[in-house]
Amino acid sequence: MIQIRNLHKYFGELEVLKGVDVNIEEGEVVCIIGASGSGKSTLLRCLNFLETKDKGEIYVDGKLIEKKCRQDVIDLRKKVGMVFQRFNLFPHMTVIQNVMEGPITVRKMPKEEAQELAMELLAKVGLEDKKDQYPAMLSGGQQQRVAIARTLAMQPKVVLFDEPTSALDPELVGEVLTVMKELAKEGMTMAVVTHEMGFAKEVSDRVIFLHEGVITEEGTPEDIFEHPKNERLQGFLSKILV
Amino acid sequence: MTFFEGIQQFFTALFKFMPKFLPGVGNTLLLSVLSILLGTVIGLFAVMLRLSKKKPLVMISNFYITIIRGTPLLLQLYFIFFGLPDMGIMIDRFPSAVLGLAIHSGAYISEIFRGSIESIDYGQREAAKALGMTNFQAMKRIILPQAFKRSVPALGNQFIISIKDSSLASVITITETILLARQFAAATFNVFPIYTLAGAYYLLITLGLSKVLNKVELRLKVNER
Repeated sequence: MIQIRNLHKYFGELEVLKGVDVNIEEGEVVCIIGASGSGKSTLLRCLNFLETKDKGEIYVDGKLIEKKCRQDVIDLRKKVGMVFQRFNLFPHMTVIQNVMEGPITVRKMPKEEAQELAMELLAKVGLEDKKDQYPAMLSGGQQQRVAIARTLAMQPKVVLFDEPTSALDPELVGEVLTVMKELAKEGMTMAVVTHEMGFAKEVSDRVIFLHEGVITEEGTPEDIFEHPKNERLQGFLSKILV
Repeated sequence: MTFFEGIQQFFTALFKFMPKFLPGVGNTLLLSVLSILLGTVIGLFAVMLRLSKKKPLVMISNFYITIIRGTPLLLQLYFIFFGLPDMGIMIDRFPSAVLGLAIHSGAYISEIFRGSIESIDYGQREAAKALGMTNFQAMKRIILPQAFKRSVPALGNQFIISIKDSSLASVITITETILLARQFAAATFNVFPIYTLAGAYYLLITLGLSKVLNKVELRLKVNER
C-alpha cells in the first residue's frame, strides 16, 4: 500500500534520514521505535508530506507522489490520516465540530451525514457525552481520542501515529492505547512511532528499529524484542525495558 | 466677569451647541465606521500577500506598510485629495477621506493580523493539512478564526485610533466634529465650551466602541476554561 524507497531528509547540514526503505502492506500494523533524534517522527512526517523529503520516492497504491503536484499530495493526505503527539485539536470548535471538520470541508459531505458519522466515531472512542464541549475542557487522553476520531472521520486507508501517548500523563496512556488496539483489531493499516514497547510487542505485525537515520533492524515483535541481533538495538532495549 | 457668571455662560453655551454638533458627529461616525471596515479588508488583503511566501507579493505588501507607516496621515490625506488630481485622478471629498483613513489604518491592521496569525501554534496548520485541507481552507477554517480572536484587543486599539484620526479629515473640508468646532469657535469665541463638547463627543464614541469590543471578546471566549 505504501512503499518508501531510499528516503533522504536533511535539516540544514544534518542528515536525519539516510536512505530509508519501508513497505507498509494493507492491514498491517508497523511500529517504529528508536532513540530520540533517530528520525522516527521525521520518517512519518515525510510520509504525508508535512516534511519535504530531499531524495527518494514515496508510492501510495503504486502511485509516485511528488510535492510539486499539490493535488496528489492532498489526495494522499485524504487517504493517510495522522494523529499527533500534541493532539492539535482545533480549540475554537467543539468536539463534534472537530470530528466533522474534515468530512465537511475536505470531503464536502452533507452536514447531517457528517454529524451521523461523527457521532458514530465518538461512540467508538467512548466520548459521545463530550460532543458539545470544547477541547480545553477535556483531559489529554480524551483529547487524543477525539483526535483519533477526527482522523478516522476522513475514512483513511492508513493512519500514522506520531508518538500518540508521549504527551499524556501515565494514567491516561491506557485509554488511548485501548482505542488503538481496537483499531488494529478491525484491520486498520497503521504506522506507529512509539515508546510504548508493550503496545509494540502486543499489537504490531512488524517492528522497525531506526538508528541515526538508518533502519538498523526490522522484524516481527518477537525477533526484535526477544532476539535482538544488532548491538544498538540491544543497547536501546536494555535502556528502555528496565 | 465673576467666576460664577463664567460657569453659567459655560453651561448655557454647552446646551446651545450640543445639538448643533450632531451633523458633525454623524459624519465622524460614518467616516470612522467606513474607514475601519475598509481598513480591515485592506489589512487582511495586505497580510495575505505578506504571508503568501511569493516574493513579489511580499514586496508589494512590505512597500505598502513601509510607506504608510513612515509618512504622516495628514500628508497622505493631502496627497489623495490635492495631489492625485494633478495626475488626473479626481476623487470626491468624502471618498477621499474614507480611502485615506482606510489605507492608513490598513497598514497597521495588517501587522496586527500578522502578529496574531503567526502566534497560532504551527500544529494547527499541520493538523489542517493532514486532514487534506488546502492552504486556503486551513487559513479560512482553522487559522483566521483563532487569529482573529487574539487580535481583538490590538484591533480595538487601532479602531479607537482610527476614530480620532478621522478628525484630520477636517483638513480636506469634511464637515466632521473638529471642523464644526473650529467654525463655531471662530464665529462665537466660545472656545472653552465648544472644545469641551467636541472632546465629550469623541469620548462618547470611543467609550461606546470599547463596550462593544468587550462584549465581542467575551463572546469569543466561550471555548476557554
